[in-house]
Amino acid sequence: MKVLDADKLTDLAAALARAGYRVVAPIEDSGVVRLAEWTEGATIRTDVIPVNSAKDFLFPRSEVIGRWDLDGADFSPRDVQPDATKTVLLAVRPCDAAALALLDTIFNWDYKDDFYNARRRAATVVPMVCTAADEQCFCTSVGGAPDATANADAMLRSADGGAKFILEPLTDKGNALLDAAGDAAREGEAAADPPAEVPHRFDVDAVTEWLSENFESALWTTLSLGCLGCGACAYACPTCHCFDMQDEATRTQSVRLKNWDSCGFGLFTQHAGGHNPRPDQTARWRQRVMHKFSYIPERFQLLGCTGCGRCARLCGAGMSMSEVCRRIADESKKAPAHES
Amino acid sequence: MSPDIDQAATVQQPGGNLYAPMTMTIAEARDETYDTRTLRLEFPGEQERAAFFAKYRVGMFGLYGVPGAGESVFCIASPPTRDRYIECTFRRAGRVTAAIQDREVGQTITFRGPYGNCFPIEEWKGRNIVFIAGGIALPPLRSVIWNVLDRRDEFADVTILYGARTVADLVYKDELADWQKRDDVNLITTVDPGGETEDWKGKIGFVPTVLEQTAPTPKNAVALVCGPPIMIKFSLPILKTLGFAPADTYTTLENRMKCGVGKCGRCNVGSLYVCKDGPVFTIEQVRKLPQDDL
Amino acid sequence: MDLDRLRQDAAAVLKDGRAKMVIGFRDRAGDCVPAFITDAEQAAELVYDETCLVNPAAYLKKIELKRFRPVAVVARPAVMRSLVLLAAEAQIAADDVLILAVGDQEYHGLMDLAGAAALLNEQYAEMPHDPEVMKRLEELSGLTPEERAAFWTEQFAKCTRCYACRAACPMCYCTRCIVEKNVPQWISTAAARHGNYAWNVIRAFHLAGRCTECGACEAACPQGIPLMLLNVSLARDVEDEFGVKAGYDAEAEPVIGSWNADDNEDFIR
Repeated sequence: MKVLDADKLTDLAAALARAGYRVVAPIEDSGVVRLAEWTEGATIRTDVIPVNSAKDFLFPRSEVIGRWDLDGADFSPRDVQPDATKTVLLAVRPCDAAALALLDTIFNWDYKDDFYNARRRAATVVPMVCTAADEQCFCTSVGGAPDATANADAMLRSADGGAKFILEPLTDKGNALLDAAGDAAREGEAAADPPAEVPHRFDVDAVTEWLSENFESALWTTLSLGCLGCGACAYACPTCHCFDMQDEATRTQSVRLKNWDSCGFGLFTQHAGGHNPRPDQTARWRQRVMHKFSYIPERFQLLGCTGCGRCARLCGAGMSMSEVCRRIADESKKAPAHES
Repeated sequence: MSPDIDQAATVQQPGGNLYAPMTMTIAEARDETYDTRTLRLEFPGEQERAAFFAKYRVGMFGLYGVPGAGESVFCIASPPTRDRYIECTFRRAGRVTAAIQDREVGQTITFRGPYGNCFPIEEWKGRNIVFIAGGIALPPLRSVIWNVLDRRDEFADVTILYGARTVADLVYKDELADWQKRDDVNLITTVDPGGETEDWKGKIGFVPTVLEQTAPTPKNAVALVCGPPIMIKFSLPILKTLGFAPADTYTTLENRMKCGVGKCGRCNVGSLYVCKDGPVFTIEQVRKLPQDDL
Repeated sequence: MDLDRLRQDAAAVLKDGRAKMVIGFRDRAGDCVPAFITDAEQAAELVYDETCLVNPAAYLKKIELKRFRPVAVVARPAVMRSLVLLAAEAQIAADDVLILAVGDQEYHGLMDLAGAAALLNEQYAEMPHDPEVMKRLEELSGLTPEERAAFWTEQFAKCTRCYACRAACPMCYCTRCIVEKNVPQWISTAAARHGNYAWNVIRAFHLAGRCTECGACEAACPQGIPLMLLNVSLARDVEDEFGVKAGYDAEAEPVIGSWNADDNEDFIR
């Protein structure tokens, strides 16, 4: 098996960079650990989950999807090429990789979005098995696990009590990565450490069932009170994919942008005629939860949440998807669904 | 009967930019009201025109835009039986619609489409068709009306009930006059009480009220309803009383949309996407959606 | 801090109907998170400590909470200032809000808005700016403009335009924020350099004379951008130029939105 010392992860990053990969890894910056492009001298930290998710590199915050030259009332389109830079998403988490199932589906169902697909094809996904978890993690409640290999091209497994990593290829891209790693990962033996214990927090099937029958429930007001309607959770979430299309222009050029958006923003469903079907945060929070745990499962047979807990960790107002699901699961036990 | 969900892909070429629009030329422009305009648009080339009409069925929508201002979703207001051009009718409501209305005949705008599903008019052959529309909501039904009238022999009775707040707010005034003259169309126009002019010859009353008075028969009939939420709210119970089945009553939902292709999430209602599973729905389908989100 | 008294006061106002809701804080696995209490028994859950950085006054802009008026708010001095200022800006009616006033070390008690304003003017008139922030501002002012611009470019590069800062701020209550207006598009929506500068700087300018330095925006920012450097800098400038600090007078005219003949004119040359 291929093995590297745990404190030599930067050597692996450097080797991959030399081999032509853009290396994305969890980088420390002023105390905050963020998935970012690794450069020489950057510190890689694997002990805490990064505040952002791997989604950022497949579906970026803002992306140009159209360009025109403008000349008075005339316009002529210019070519826009998607970014197909060969990238390794190094030491992301299994919950990031699990999310790719939904992103792959959304960006390809019926119409194919090449802005996403080009990045996706060019990316080698290398999750790190989690050997630690916190109270906000709930991957095991949504069909995931700290050592899940779904959508991974290779896995980094902590070994020998954290002293080493095993780098295990799972796909052709993974094998290519190992070739490119060269001496940074050498033949050897190591004993994989056990993955983190992530206790089961709620019965997700009970949640989905309650949701299918309780659109009008008064519980939504209670569940949503803390939410102030920013986009922090949707932006950090590895499965959230809603976006806005926005044109910006000078006199001579215009671009059409695809920008992250959030169903939590007040104007998300605002009609030009003035009507807003989701006029308050209660309706918008309900949409967030229903979309992830009811509508997406119904439509695509997938959950819209991988239990990474980022939303709860960074919500300034104390909202937690895990807590919401626990409360719904509790509520579903109180009375049979058809009586609610 | 459910509308066909025409899932065929658009004019997107494999590997092409899904979001790249075509450039259309404004062949004609007509002001319907002080803020509503109809544009007739021509395709950039024969290949694009043919590819569009290979897919287009009434009910489908498109995204019309101006680079620098953005894109806006409206229905396609002309039928595939008129396959040299498409038409759209829209109100000047914000940045994009203002930029489009500022364009002159001979100038260009962008267009992406056709997207969405369609009215299953093939299933309506031999049946009576009742159109009920209010105000700016006649355009989505106008494509169906022309589709039916262009193939008049294939359908039975055609009834059109159309109303607006005032006479000035009625759109397609010339076409209304043409439909009035035809003896194979029963056209009833109405304005809200107080909206009539001195020489107004149509009815005076809210659309639901006039619908009740007109009392079209539900036998062998389908109904298409399109209008402001309040008009729909009061019209549906009357259709029900008259005996129209929810599965035979159709509408088109006009949710806020951006991408038009089921990705941006904005038009998601329940487990449906209005841009993919709609915008045409039967009332039976609409009733199954989370009502508060409409 | 006499949390028991706070809890009793909260329970009492709910029980006798003086308030329909108490907005305070509860403990969740060691973190302080907002609590919305409508039943007197729930008042026992209320906690308070220095990690309670959310500004509960921000919840008063939520339309679905407007039916829970009068509302009682657990408020530290900066939050009391927010409430006084919201009244001065006609966003809340003075008799729609009660305050469970919390100080640095002690619980001051239950009071109405006038009582809170009096308390602020008596005991918290000299609220110093955050010393860490002041130290940093001092350092920044020693830099050249190019160096300072480089510092802010680096900070704003982290901004993802999630608008958590805006959501967390009680004074950001516009139903359509300037960044959401598109005729014209005042601020680019792309999370790129000029849009991020414009957003953060314009928000700080829109808060000049209105920021009560509660720190909720910086606490809410998922990227750790030092927003208080901007807000305190402008608050200090307004204080220097106009002698006004936000949130001490419920009848005050808006600082930037009004003028009087004694205003400093020496910048007009």
